[in-house]
Amino acid sequence: MSPAFGRGVMTNHIVDLKNTDCALIMGSNAAENHPITMKWLFKAKEARGAKLIHVDPRFTRTSARADLYAPLRSGTDIAFLGGMVKYIIDNELYHKDYVVNFTNAAYLIKDEFEFKDGLFSGYDAEARKYDVKSWDYKTDDAGMALTDPTLQDPRCVFQLMKKHYERYDIDTVCKITGTPKDKYLAVLDTFCATGAPNKVGTIMYAMGITQHTVGSQNVKSFSNVQLLLGNMGRPGGGINALRGENNVQGATDMALLFHIIPGYIDSPMNSVAHKDLISFIRAVTPGAGKLPFTNLEEFRELVKAGFPNSGWKIHSSKWVVSLLKAWWGKAASKENDFGYHYLPKRDEKKNYSHIAMFEAMYKGEIDGLFINGSNPVVGGPNANKELEAMTKLKWMVSIDLWLNESADFWTHQAWERAVDNPNVAKISPENIGTEVFFLPAAAVYEKEGTAAQTGRWVQYRWKGAEPVGESKSDLWIYNELVKKVKKVYEGSKRPEDEPIVNMTWDVENEHGHDDPIKVANELCGYSTVDGKPVEGFAKLMDDGSTACGCWVYCGATTLKDGKFIYKPQLRDNKDNSKTGMGLYSNWGWAWPVNRRIVYNRCSVQPDGVTAWPGDEDRMLVRWDPLALADPKKPESLGSWVGDDVPDFIKTVGPSNPAFTKPFIMRPEGHGCLFAAKTSMKEGPFPEHYEPWESPTLNTLNSQVLNPATKVWEPEKQSKSEQYPIIGTTYRVVEHWQTGALTRNLPWLAELMPNMFVELSEELAREKGIKNGQNVIISNTRGDVEAVACVTKRFKPFQINGKTVHEIGLLWQYGFKGFATGDTANWLTPHVGDANTMIPEYKAWLCDIRRA
Amino acid sequence: MANLANLYDVSKCTACRGCQVACKDWNQLPAVIEPFKGNYQTHEDTNGDTFTIINFFEYEDPVDGVRWNFIKRQCMHCLDPECMKVCPRQAYTKTSWGATLHDPDKCIGCQYCAAACPFDIPKYRKREDVITKCTMCADRVEEGLTPACARTCPSGALTFGDRDELLQKAEARAKFLRANGFPRATIYGRVELGGLNNLYVLTDTPDMFGLPVNPKVSGNITFWQDWIQPYFGWLIPLMLTASATSFVTSRILASKHGEHGEHGEGGHE
Amino acid sequence: MKVTRRQFLKVTGATAASFAVLDLGFDMQATAKAIKDLRIKNVTPTPTVCPYCASGCGLVVYSERDAAGKFVKLLSVHGDPDNPINQGGACAKGAAMFNLREIYDEKGEQVINPKRVQKPMYRAPGSDKWEEKDWDWMLTRIAEKIKETRDGSFIHKEKIADGSEIIVNRTEKIASVGGSGLDNEEAYVLSKIMRSLGVVYLETQARI
Repeated sequence: MSPAFGRGVMTNHIVDLKNTDCALIMGSNAAENHPITMKWLFKAKEARGAKLIHVDPRFTRTSARADLYAPLRSGTDIAFLGGMVKYIIDNELYHKDYVVNFTNAAYLIKDEFEFKDGLFSGYDAEARKYDVKSWDYKTDDAGMALTDPTLQDPRCVFQLMKKHYERYDIDTVCKITGTPKDKYLAVLDTFCATGAPNKVGTIMYAMGITQHTVGSQNVKSFSNVQLLLGNMGRPGGGINALRGENNVQGATDMALLFHIIPGYIDSPMNSVAHKDLISFIRAVTPGAGKLPFTNLEEFRELVKAGFPNSGWKIHSSKWVVSLLKAWWGKAASKENDFGYHYLPKRDEKKNYSHIAMFEAMYKGEIDGLFINGSNPVVGGPNANKELEAMTKLKWMVSIDLWLNESADFWTHQAWERAVDNPNVAKISPENIGTEVFFLPAAAVYEKEGTAAQTGRWVQYRWKGAEPVGESKSDLWIYNELVKKVKKVYEGSKRPEDEPIVNMTWDVENEHGHDDPIKVANELCGYSTVDGKPVEGFAKLMDDGSTACGCWVYCGATTLKDGKFIYKPQLRDNKDNSKTGMGLYSNWGWAWPVNRRIVYNRCSVQPDGVTAWPGDEDRMLVRWDPLALADPKKPESLGSWVGDDVPDFIKTVGPSNPAFTKPFIMRPEGHGCLFAAKTSMKEGPFPEHYEPWESPTLNTLNSQVLNPATKVWEPEKQSKSEQYPIIGTTYRVVEHWQTGALTRNLPWLAELMPNMFVELSEELAREKGIKNGQNVIISNTRGDVEAVACVTKRFKPFQINGKTVHEIGLLWQYGFKGFATGDTANWLTPHVGDANTMIPEYKAWLCDIRRA
Repeated sequence: MANLANLYDVSKCTACRGCQVACKDWNQLPAVIEPFKGNYQTHEDTNGDTFTIINFFEYEDPVDGVRWNFIKRQCMHCLDPECMKVCPRQAYTKTSWGATLHDPDKCIGCQYCAAACPFDIPKYRKREDVITKCTMCADRVEEGLTPACARTCPSGALTFGDRDELLQKAEARAKFLRANGFPRATIYGRVELGGLNNLYVLTDTPDMFGLPVNPKVSGNITFWQDWIQPYFGWLIPLMLTASATSFVTSRILASKHGEHGEHGEGGHE
Repeated sequence: MKVTRRQFLKVTGATAASFAVLDLGFDMQATAKAIKDLRIKNVTPTPTVCPYCASGCGLVVYSERDAAGKFVKLLSVHGDPDNPINQGGACAKGAAMFNLREIYDEKGEQVINPKRVQKPMYRAPGSDKWEEKDWDWMLTRIAEKIKETRDGSFIHKEKIADGSEIIVNRTEKIASVGGSGLDNEEAYVLSKIMRSLGVVYLETQARI
């Protein structure tokens, strides 16, 4: 989403679903994996007559409650949505005012840009990479993009898009996706009706969309549909990525990911562009590339004057320097680039994502591993290989509530398989030299701290019970461990040890106990001059006078009457919106700056004053020429006002040229139908490619696999001649992720006691499988035993005139807990999305037989 | 006092089974883990430690396509409960607001009630030799709280409140559903067996949810309540003095229960 | 004394509606006896947020405490009625939160969930069993392992494309996964620690 809008987050929030006129749930089984969303969708159905559409390979508990269910073959979302784009354009269902004013539809694209038979211009087949030079706007001398607001120029984004999707006609799409034509048409009719200015539709998705070799482009397809229909930045609309882990949003915000540092800033590399702080700031600030500056003082002057194509990220230097000050305190000074060199610089030629990490581990390149409440032996792709990789570790630390499958990877049980397979390793404990440390952690309500839910609401969790036995909160564990680490490095004068020796460590309160509030102070930002909280990220500085661990959380702390307030603890549950939109702005705190719906500038017409026709009740913000932006300054006349916090500079009014640019995190300021330059690895427009393991060739072009995807193990590709059945994986409401936190709970083990596989009655007949029997599912990577659940809810697909079967496995089982079973990820491949490296869990090949 | 009831709207149930677990949390019930049998349903029936379950039914027809029906089963808290009539120890009582309660201290585990119930609800808990069933969380309701299942239902399928008001609501909802894709939508529990305190809004006919279309008290139960039960009260003390007698009695009853399971009117699935 | 509704019913013997039960001779006294006391009465619940999916439903924890306020045991975990997201609702997972700490065993007795680990555990290379260790021993040894691996693999400086040498401060021999179940404050310090150690193989569940 970030390439389209500037941020990769869920745009709206859970309660806001009640404001929708139509919800397209695709690649998500919301009723099972995010049950509470259904409460708000049912309210929308009752109050607004909203329609619910579910698109999924299998009829689920979500489909059971949908008004319309359409099946599609796993891995064909781009074809499905590309056909939708064509339908919207052909039938002129797009929201014209919105498209012209709020998106880059009118931008002209360089003449060198072209698309031919599945490949965009600039492809290097050898490297499986694109040179993206031509994927760019035509600009004037000042570097501003040329546009044609009539959308008629053949080089404008709108026309190029129209041309690109010409091939995605309904019959072609249905041949690829296997969706019955009447169902597909019904989906198109129902959802595209939200292009009307007074209608708003929402899209809800989850891992069914992202866990593909084309995951990012799947999401980009949603962006295109929602921008065309004018559904972004409005209540009841948006693209709502339903996140799977209670604080995966927070963990991402804190950058527990190799490619970023806290606050979504690229992590530094061993490249010329990142060689020192000034180079780094140049690299991470859009539009700064060619500007003349050699130090921060000069840069500050340029920022003050403003420069084109920068967006809100023009402030990146303040976020970076404040982060460095938070981490290294006094040791970070103007003289030493604020300690920029302390930050690890990753190798620009290497990838360090999950798959890459386990490939490296497999090769014996990694000695020590921390597992922080995670379970890769069950949850990692190609889990047989990942299990074997772990045996090469010299030491491993597992922090968890239970001895899960990963903590116990060295036991005999971990290597037991229903089928003896020479390609799957079997290693006994005496041959595993890993030293394993298991640290028992406290459960969620045995400790306290905050979590950011999927809609970016940060809420506080108080402690309601004592940890069992000697188990401890993770914060206690990290605190004690850091004290030990600092001790072993104590007194070191080696420059390479400076980052540890000089790391600030202030997590204990006046009673000597580790305290999340102490951490919050650093995380949300304080003045290094007087120690007071920084009131918002607009007040962060790049001169060392502020420290802030993660700028997007800046503003969550404040002083009120001298008392420290952590806003996630706020519990005022009155809806502050005058029209009952359910914003609940005084409940907890949402980043950024407590904004509940991002890009909310779009909820009002381009003039900034008038509601979209017929939609007066869903206006989040509006321009008021008579309001004071700062109540203390009478000269600050004119301000954005409304129930939500405007996602816009408060004082920029209709007379300002930046006025109609609602996507402030994008350099262009406009929603991107065309993802320019380096935004996407495989092209500016989503194009359909088949999964790595697919039962068919690509109907739309001669490229089968996404041309930019890295193939890690070509020899492990399961071929359709031997493995003709599509396999996919998913979860059920009763279990969560790898099951460690649910299979150990008797009440949940009772509800879903064993691993099972769902298959159609047709396939069961073909294979002589009866409901409730044990079956074996196999491919090149392993064999899984499961109970057969033969169901009417799975149906064979007709793909290019051929019958293709698909089966679905729960991926939540392992050998530990009250509910056990084989691990579905023994079968999933080590291949991932070209941009994010998220593995392709959702579409691969296999065969099934009776056990 | 007005009757209080639970209204369960199948069109809003997503079978998340929060109710099943909340019931166990509130009533302090252990898990009963049985192997997966090829269906999402946990147990074939309620049991001594499981007062409520969601039943799952898959159908397919040329018009509607695939339908997956979910329905919550538990004690219906009948306005005129059979269990209470047949209990030899008067362990069953009715609260002023409509819950049918069972007092385990009085129960001798004879299981007459289990045989009599048209919905097959009272279940035997072996470890304590007593019958158990849903209490409508009377301890919560008497303190002004809603039953645990209604309290937890995330999607709003369960509502607890005044029975008459809920009936009106149910009628309106069924009417809405009939006009919106479910022509056979109906309500259940208003008149069945003289009325139930668990009301249902169904998207289809009751048989599509495993509910008895026209629940009746079986013939031998009528015989039992008219002829044997009135005299049984004074028989019990006699039986308890001789353990052999109670053994024989329980065996007779056990066989009767088995017969009911095969041919009874209240059979499900 | 404040008369509760239940006592009220007992005192007045509240007249039940006129159905067959009365004919069979049941009275409210009997009813009252079959009703247990509300075990969360007068217990102040503690609000928290569900640790499963990221919807962010609020939960409330009811715990029994002794006179000094010391925690004794769990009573129940419910959906938080004040939380605007779920308004008291909880699916099967949320409703099962009690089990995260305590369970009812086969006899119906309330015990600590036997799967919870109550002491730090250590597995020596080549061993086929876990041994209990104390925290201090474990953390000291882990810190030594970190130093050993980090120092033995540390890349302090590297030559880059323009021919200059820069400080890169990284180790590729230590990796960290997980953290999406942590609180923000914990995830933040983890990110900070790992980066200060020079760890670049840093991943969380956002990618898997």
